[in-house]
Amino acid sequence: MRLNELTCSGFRCLGELQFLPIPGVNIVHGRNAQGKTSLLEAAYFAVTSKSHRTNTESELVRHNHDRFQIRAEVARRDREVRIEVNWWQGTKRIKVNHVALSRVSDLLGRANIIFFSPEDIALIQGAASVRRRFFDMEMAQLQPSYLAALQQYRQVLRQRNQLLRQPTPDLPQLEAWDEPLARHGAVLIEERRKFLRDLAPLATRAYAHIAPDEPVEIRYHPDVPDAAALPKTLLKARNSDLRQGVTNRGPHRDDFEVYVSGKPARIFASQGQQKTAALALRLAEIELVHDRTREYPILMLDEVMAELDAARAERLLDSIHPDVQCVLTTTNLNASLPSAQRASAHFLMQGGRLETR
Amino acid sequence: MLIHVPSVERLIEAFRRLPGIGKRTAERLALHVLSAPAELAETLSDAVRDARSRITTCDICGNLTEANPCTICADERRDHSVVCVVERPAGAMAIEKGGTYRGVYHVLHGVLNPLEGIGPAELKIEGLLERVRRGGVREVIVATNTTAEGETTALYLSKQVSALNVAVTRIAHGVPMGGGLEYTDDQTLQRALEGRTRL
Repeated sequence: MRLNELTCSGFRCLGELQFLPIPGVNIVHGRNAQGKTSLLEAAYFAVTSKSHRTNTESELVRHNHDRFQIRAEVARRDREVRIEVNWWQGTKRIKVNHVALSRVSDLLGRANIIFFSPEDIALIQGAASVRRRFFDMEMAQLQPSYLAALQQYRQVLRQRNQLLRQPTPDLPQLEAWDEPLARHGAVLIEERRKFLRDLAPLATRAYAHIAPDEPVEIRYHPDVPDAAALPKTLLKARNSDLRQGVTNRGPHRDDFEVYVSGKPARIFASQGQQKTAALALRLAEIELVHDRTREYPILMLDEVMAELDAARAERLLDSIHPDVQCVLTTTNLNASLPSAQRASAHFLMQGGRLETR
Repeated sequence: MLIHVPSVERLIEAFRRLPGIGKRTAERLALHVLSAPAELAETLSDAVRDARSRITTCDICGNLTEANPCTICADERRDHSVVCVVERPAGAMAIEKGGTYRGVYHVLHGVLNPLEGIGPAELKIEGLLERVRRGGVREVIVATNTTAEGETTALYLSKQVSALNVAVTRIAHGVPMGGGLEYTDDQTLQRALEGRTRL
C-alpha cells in the first residue's frame, strides 16, 4: 500500500499543501514547530478519522479558521482509494471514492498507516491503561468481533460499577450483571491471548534487528488468566467489590509487560531501550497487518532518530521491508541517512510550507 | 424574533420533550401549529388531553389501555398461562400486529439501568412475580431488547421467575424474514449462527 498524494488546507499550522511522496523512503526535515508532525497527523487523520495526539478535533483547525479539508490518494494492491475529509464547525464528513460514509467507523480498514511518535514511549513507561488502549485499538481494527465484545464489556462494567456505588446494591441484580460481564470478558481474555501469541514473536524479531544483543519479550498478564474462572472470581471478589464500590477483577485490569534482557522495561530499561521497545511494537504491527491482509501498511515515523544512536537508527531503516513505504521526520538531516539500497526523497518543511528537495 | 416570545418558547420546549424531536423539528412543528388555522391547534390539544385522560395502565399487565383491565387481559379466548414480557407498550403492539401470539403480556416500562437510576423497584417486576405466584402461568417469554441492559433484565427475570418453578424462555434472534444475509449486520449474523436449529 502506498500514499500517492496528500493535500490539505486549514489543518493545524499547515498552509495549502500538496505532498507527493515516492514509494520508498520519504524524509521530511525542518526545524521544530514548522509542521512536520502535523503533516503525518493529517495523513493519519484521513485514514483513521482520529488524531494520534488529541481527541479534541477543534484543536486541529488552523487558528481563525472554521474548516479543514484533507484528501488522501492511496494505492492498494487491489484498487485506488481516494479519501476526502471535510471538517466544518465540529462536523466531519468523509467520502471514500466520492461516496459519503454514513458511519465514521466504516472508514476503518480502507487504508492502513502505522504511526510511531515520540509519545509512544508511554507504551513502555506509562500505566497499564495506556497499553490496554494500544492493544484494544489494534485488535479492534483487525477484527470487528473483538470491538463488539469490548463495547459490550465496557457498557456492562459501567452499569455494574454504578450499581456497586449505590448505598445498598440489589444482590440478585448484581448477579444478573455478573453473567454478561463474565461472558464478554472471557472473549476479551481469549482474543488478547491469541493476538499476543501472534504479535509477541514479531516484536521480538523487530527488536533484535535494531539491537541484536538485547532479547526483548512481551508477555500478557491477564488479571484472571483462566477465562472460564471469571464467574467464580467475580463471586469471590463480590464482598470487596461491594465495600469499594468498584469491580476489582476482570480483563479491564489486564496488563501487557515488555521485558528487555529478562527485566521489566518499564522499570529497568534506559530511555533509548524503551524507545526501541515501543518502536518494536509498531514494527511488529507492520508484519501483523501484512499477515492478515497480505499487504504492507504505510509507515510513519515521527522524530524516531532522536534518542537512537547512529547504529540503531541505521539498523532500524535496514530492518524495514523494502516494500514498505515510509515517511519520516527529522530535525537533523545528517542523522537520518536511509540505507543505500533504498530510493529516497527529501522534503523541507518550513512555516507550514513543503518544498521538494 | 418570534422565537424569543415566552409562549412560543414554551411550545417549542414542549415538542422537544417528545422522543425523536430535535431543535429544528420542534421549531418547525411549533411554527406550523401557530401559522395553521386555529382549528388545528384546538383539535391537537383536545386530542392530546382527551386521550391522556382516558388512557391508563392496565392493573394486570401494565399496558396502555382505555378499559381496565385491558382488552387483552379481559379476553377469555387468549391463553393466560403464557405471559410475554416486553420493555414498553410499543413492544406489545408490535407482537399484536403479527396476529399469531395468543398469550397475554406484561409491560415492564423500562429495563434495569443503574446509570439512569432504574432498578427492579422502578420497573413493573413485582407485579409480574405476583401474577406468577397467584398461579395459572406455565411459561414466561422474555422479549426485552438485545441491548446489554435488555439482556441483563432478561437474565434477572429468568432467575426470579424460575425460582417460582415456572418455565422462562427467551425469544430467538436472527436474520429477518425475507431479508438477505448480505443486509444483516455482523453481530446479528453471529447470533443467528449460534442459535442455529437442526433441519
